[in-house]
Amino acid sequence: MLTLVLGGAASGKSEYAEALVLRSALPRYYLATMQVWDAECAARVEKHRKMRAAKQFETLECPLHLETVHLPRRGTALLEDLGNLTANELYDPAGAGDAAAEHILQGLESLAAQCENLIVVSNEVFSGGADYAGDTDRYLLALARVNNALAARADAVVRVVCGIPVYYKGVEK
Amino acid sequence: MIFITGPLYSGKRTFARTLPGRCITDAQQLAAGCKDNAELEKLADKLSAYDIVLSTEVGGGVVPIDPAERAARENAGRLACMLAARAKCVVQMFCGIPTVLKGELPEC
Repeated sequence: MLTLVLGGAASGKSEYAEALVLRSALPRYYLATMQVWDAECAARVEKHRKMRAAKQFETLECPLHLETVHLPRRGTALLEDLGNLTANELYDPAGAGDAAAEHILQGLESLAAQCENLIVVSNEVFSGGADYAGDTDRYLLALARVNNALAARADAVVRVVCGIPVYYKGVEK
Repeated sequence: MIFITGPLYSGKRTFARTLPGRCITDAQQLAAGCKDNAELEKLADKLSAYDIVLSTEVGGGVVPIDPAERAARENAGRLACMLAARAKCVVQMFCGIPTVLKGELPEC
């Protein structure tokens, strides 16, 4: 089962996605995408690590090249999040650049084939106006392509609003 | 408490006026002044004493470059989660149309 969990900043999307994982089969993998640049990133990583503490997650770092990830066993994987992954693939010199969206979608396909449940967290960043140009617009377009293609492919699409899950496709399991 | 959220100018106030009770607006601005989760929880408790609380959704745009703006958005989102958890009814406005996400609106 493939579930896409979307939400804005501090919408409660991570907490909800983790709650979904806790109802799913072991083993549980957490695929972390954030590259740590500064103290703010480190604090964010630490906050999310604490949330996962004692929940039996095995963390795999995958800031780039999702298509190369091999899960040791079949189970449940939580990938967090597509906003970071897209930025990494677009802007990191080792990333896919303009082919970011295609690479990420291939990676998601490969990942989905390796687990019983794949839960993917992504970001709603499209409601702050339409006047972006250059790199920001490239980023928004790439992330939207990944979001929309994954939503079409997913069994369930849920948007988290103030911690409340709102299903746009499928039902809560 | 009824919590009403939604984008800027989505009709939150207009809708709130149809409901009885004491109302406070712009909770997202109050959140910006909090320095940690404990302060946000305290603020959420205080706001829960109102009958209706309004907060504008500000976390749906591109992540701002300015750290203070990022922190303000985080606080606003976190406070909205806390208010929604405390509310007996949560409404999301969109183009003036209310959608009830939690509980039920009082009959009026």
